[in-house]
Amino acid sequence: MTSVSLDELGPVDYVVVEFPAGSSNFTGEMAAELRALVDSGTIRVIDVLILTKDADGTVEATELSDVGELGELQAIEAELAELLAADDVDHLAAAMEPGSTAGVLIWENLWAAPFASAARRSGGQLIADGRIPIQAIIASIEADDETATAGD
Amino acid sequence: MPLRPERVGRVGVIRAPVAKTAVVAKAVTPGRAPVAKTAVVAAAVTPRVGRRRI
Repeated sequence: MTSVSLDELGPVDYVVVEFPAGSSNFTGEMAAELRALVDSGTIRVIDVLILTKDADGTVEATELSDVGELGELQAIEAELAELLAADDVDHLAAAMEPGSTAGVLIWENLWAAPFASAARRSGGQLIADGRIPIQAIIASIEADDETATAGD
Repeated sequence: MPLRPERVGRVGVIRAPVAKTAVVAKAVTPGRAPVAKTAVVAAAVTPRVGRRRI
């Protein structure tokens, strides 16, 4: 990768989506939505792994290419960069419950790349970023409500 | 099935065990109280003219 393309790289995020034992209901909807995000240029999928954690805590990782019928994910699989190392598997699986299956998705936020690049050209540097969980917003609202009620 | 050999022996990018995020589903699952809660959260992230933080 050249320095020019590195400067244009968008922020990279990941999620681990757990499917507790017996609760998965794969209709193809997730794959279609992911494909739509890729096709619209919103994100670029960098890596995908499927993790399973046995009842005894043993973790097994499966490549997307080893999943039978990929359907919508076929085109995505062909472009994967395989960023994750074997070392990452146990760290990612730490949050999983025994007996569950999880999908790990790593993606580049293409939508953010032009803004990030412009910020760097303007002399800015990223010093913090993060995500605000919905639970934190709810807690904030509830705390405000309690304060308002106490003032009545 | 095993991971591809290219993934073995490399330094990982996830530096430490990840913590489990609180499950969001309960906050957005349809039902009397959760729906009300969802509406309040939606209001909190909706643009509001003249809102004061303090």
